[in-house]
Amino acid sequence: MNEPLQPIVVLRNVEALQARVALRVTAALSEYQALGSSPDVDARLRFAREQALAAARRVRTVSAAAPASIGMSGGAAVLGGVPDATPWWLRLGSLLPLAILLAGLMLIDHHYTRSQIEAAAEVDAAILTDELPPEAYRDRGFVEFLKTASP
Amino acid sequence: MATDKELSDFLKSVEKRAFKRTAYTVRNDDAALDIVQDAMIRLAEKYADRPPAELPLVFQRILSNATMDWFRRQKVRNSLIVNLSEFEGADDDGGDFDLLELLDTSNGQSGTESAADSVGRTQILQLIDAQVQELPARQREAFLLRYWEELDVAETASVMGCSEGSVKTHCSRAVHALAKALRAKGVTL
Repeated sequence: MNEPLQPIVVLRNVEALQARVALRVTAALSEYQALGSSPDVDARLRFAREQALAAARRVRTVSAAAPASIGMSGGAAVLGGVPDATPWWLRLGSLLPLAILLAGLMLIDHHYTRSQIEAAAEVDAAILTDELPPEAYRDRGFVEFLKTASP
Repeated sequence: MATDKELSDFLKSVEKRAFKRTAYTVRNDDAALDIVQDAMIRLAEKYADRPPAELPLVFQRILSNATMDWFRRQKVRNSLIVNLSEFEGADDDGGDFDLLELLDTSNGQSGTESAADSVGRTQILQLIDAQVQELPARQREAFLLRYWEELDVAETASVMGCSEGSVKTHCSRAVHALAKALRAKGVTL
């Protein structure tokens, strides 16, 4: 006598039946697509494919140009965009002229300040060591005497 | 890493189905072509270093995302509200429908088709195409990914961003809805 089927067996039968129907429907879709293929659509798809291949070649070229150290990071470097291929010492070297310029400016500033201090010190020393008291230079008559007396 | 030829062969093998699947969803051939092109370029730019075996799943995911991006852009551009209920679909599972009725008839007829039936055959194919297009979006997506793109349940769930149970439910409902609609129109496969 026939025994009733177990629920799991019935479920598998239903799934298999669904799959058979589905595959026939999709086969019909493929057949219809092959029949109704438009030249315009085919041309557009071919163009899209060529664009994609060109993009892939571009990415590969950039990846190949990058140094091996960047290649070690694997897919993450590719996914994160095109990495900068300039080595660190070259980037540091590009900062060298700026550093020299800044050092030169600081040196000039230091020299100018020092020469001003030295000039002021010389004047102060001359005034203080002179026989005339500094107050003499406040006298208008003495200043006028110095102007007329100088050659 | 996929070579140029492997990538080209892969794209050639999926491009027409990708276009059709997208055209079903966006109902605009030009937009579908743009979306497929966008997906192809994204795949080539970001994932061309992947092994060829991984490309189908990655491509389907990119295509689905590109399609959703298109809907988002359309929504912003046209200030239209996308009818989300379409994505959920009606609960038309046709639980009592006997799938065998469709298959039994088709088994009997598949070997008897002659060249004279070609016009009728084309009309049948057109009708099947239209019925697939009439499916709710999520059901159609699950059905096409699972059976046309031949992804397994887990891969389909991954592409659709849902559970495997949901994929099975969507597929089952889609098959029953298709079978019921085709049988109602007297179509056999």
